Amino acid sequence: MSPVQYDLFQGLPNDCVERMLALGSRRTLHSGEQLIELGAPAEELYLVAHGQINLTLPMQVRGQKADVLVEERTGGQTVGWSALTPPYQFTLQASAPVETEVIALPRPALENYFAGHPEIGHRVSLNLASVIGQRLQLFQAMWLREVARMIEMRAA
Amino acid sequence: MEMLLMGIFISIFGMAIAAAAFGAAVRREEPAPQLQAQPQPAAAAAATIPTRFFVQDGKIPAPNVSVPIEALLLQLERHVRLETAAATSFLAAPNSALLHSKTTSPFVN
Repeated sequence: MSPVQYDLFQGLPNDCVERMLALGSRRTLHSGEQLIELGAPAEELYLVAHGQINLTLPMQVRGQKADVLVEERTGGQTVGWSALTPPYQFTLQASAPVETEVIALPRPALENYFAGHPEIGHRVSLNLASVIGQRLQLFQAMWLREVARMIEMRAA
Repeated sequence: MEMLLMGIFISIFGMAIAAAAFGAAVRREEPAPQLQAQPQPAAAAAATIPTRFFVQDGKIPAPNVSVPIEALLLQLERHVRLETAAATSFLAAPNSALLHSKTTSPFVN
């Protein structure tokens, strides 16, 4: 079985990746278990080792509160990058729809490591910008599709 | 004498008709009683409903309350996945056609 390629550590040598993974701890989530609570302080960043994490937001559906799927993250992808961007507060909820393993990386440990290895910190920052940028572009396109449909409906 | 009386009678009659006609011409038109048209609830609702092709004006499709909320949430999840896939396709090869490509989601059809 090939090792998981983490999007946050792309372009880094394996030994660096191993050292950074060793800063965190592996956590197994059972099906339906919550990983991130909306609005909670973001102290840890998560890498999905295997399984799936659903990012959701609460929504009123027929007068009832329901958690609606916003995004799905699978093996190798990053969850909870709010831990590396001020104001360090989660803006989505996250839970595991199936048994899932994540690696939880505490912010202080990562910051200490980056302070001692600025070139690694720079590479990880670029990868993080790519992760954030992909979500921005994705939601920008989805938003535009929705606006186009709204205009089409109102003009009809 | 008879001729004289007939002439006077015709003159008076003519004067009376002229006076009536003049009065009718200069009379101010009474405003018609204002109908306080209170919009009927159904009419008000119809006014706010945007018309669409293949949909008769003023007829709102009743929400399908028979669909269980779990099924509705599954439809919503499917919609999000389809929209994400469509947006991802656009990002892979950005062009206007892909940006506005249709999906099979029941929420947009």
